[in-house]
Amino acid sequence: MDAASSYFGTRNARQVRPAARLVVLNEARQKEVLPSPEELISLVDAVGREQDRNAFARLFGYFAPRVKSFLMRSGLADSAAEEVTQEVMIAVWRKASYFDPGKAGVSTWVFTIARNQRIDRLRRTRSRTADNLLDPSDEPDMPLSGEDITITAEREEGVRKALATLPSDQATIVRLSFFAEKPHAEIARELGIPLGTVKSRVRLALSRLRTLLDSDI
Amino acid sequence: MTIKHHPSDETLMRMAAGALGAGPELVVSVHLEGCAVCRNRMAHFEAVGGAILDGMPSAPLAADLFGRTMERLEAVQPLPTRERMVKRPELGLELPRAMQNCEVGPWKWLGPGFQWSKIKIVGSPDAKVMLIKGKAGLHLPAHGHTGLEFMQILSGSLADERGQYLPGDLDEAGSDVDHRPVVGQDSDCICLAALEGDTRLHGFLGRLLRPFVGF
Repeated sequence: MDAASSYFGTRNARQVRPAARLVVLNEARQKEVLPSPEELISLVDAVGREQDRNAFARLFGYFAPRVKSFLMRSGLADSAAEEVTQEVMIAVWRKASYFDPGKAGVSTWVFTIARNQRIDRLRRTRSRTADNLLDPSDEPDMPLSGEDITITAEREEGVRKALATLPSDQATIVRLSFFAEKPHAEIARELGIPLGTVKSRVRLALSRLRTLLDSDI
Repeated sequence: MTIKHHPSDETLMRMAAGALGAGPELVVSVHLEGCAVCRNRMAHFEAVGGAILDGMPSAPLAADLFGRTMERLEAVQPLPTRERMVKRPELGLELPRAMQNCEVGPWKWLGPGFQWSKIKIVGSPDAKVMLIKGKAGLHLPAHGHTGLEFMQILSGSLADERGQYLPGDLDEAGSDVDHRPVVGQDSDCICLAALEGDTRLHGFLGRLLRPFVGF
């Protein structure tokens, strides 16, 4: 397996977990049966339609530890990360009926909720509370089409595959770019490489992603 | 209408990551509203975020976190409906949806045929973002920037040494760009502009704007 794929949750990567990842996972997690993208969609659907608490518990079990870990990696302390994780999961519950599998996969949707909660916290505002209010993109604008759902699923899959084939130095930069409002100068310091190298790796990674995804971008 | 000028991959990735400042984020949001191509590109970058989330190791949670969350769900109020928070001055254009929660100031005189309106983003009072209006044919002062300048054309047109910008176009100008934009002859031009972080404008335009806008 390519080194880069261990950075990203390609579904295949999870079935054949790299040894390094196992170390950080506890026993229970190793045995956890990870939900497929389709299962995640049906869980969110059950929460949205019927306020299904068992479905929510499964979503919580899968996402809450990952969201917390993402937030801590983005610079939040343990307690703050847990607080925000709770907000994120509450938003998942409240917004479940607005989730549109024709727009994004469940993990991507949860990522955007976590991202927005983190921005709100960083900008120190209670008034924006993007995920407690409905934003325009939540409005169901058109009836769901099977085609949109297929296109979305293919996009999620394509992105994961493309990421898995990035050389590991580029994958690292892309990954670090998603943690916090971290300017490239800071990434350069963290990796101990010149700023110009960070910038050129970002450019390389983006152009490579673009080439890999070009069929549908 | 074909949109010719788009935000860069890097800008979209930073926005997907939540790492673009509030001002540039607003300008790019307005662009996305009108640009299906960039909405699709953005969806790809957000999917990168989803893949990264999937790949995160599991952090240990407080044993009672799930229970506490369920308790809060019991107490959760129904979703509040969004209210328009501010009165709008008459600006002579329909504001994009992405701007509906911003405070928008009235047009103020900046020079002959040249006006601006201050935009305040709730929660980000320091964001350097404004509407700019120039009358048809106006030559804007030549300027450069210490960092990125984002400009989305809302109406009319603008041209500089690098090209022509029509409604829906977004121009991203970095520190390597010194330009002298000219408003198209046919009509007045209104655009939404933001400077990134502590970017400053060089030249006469910077001196003109600084006392008013703090740019």
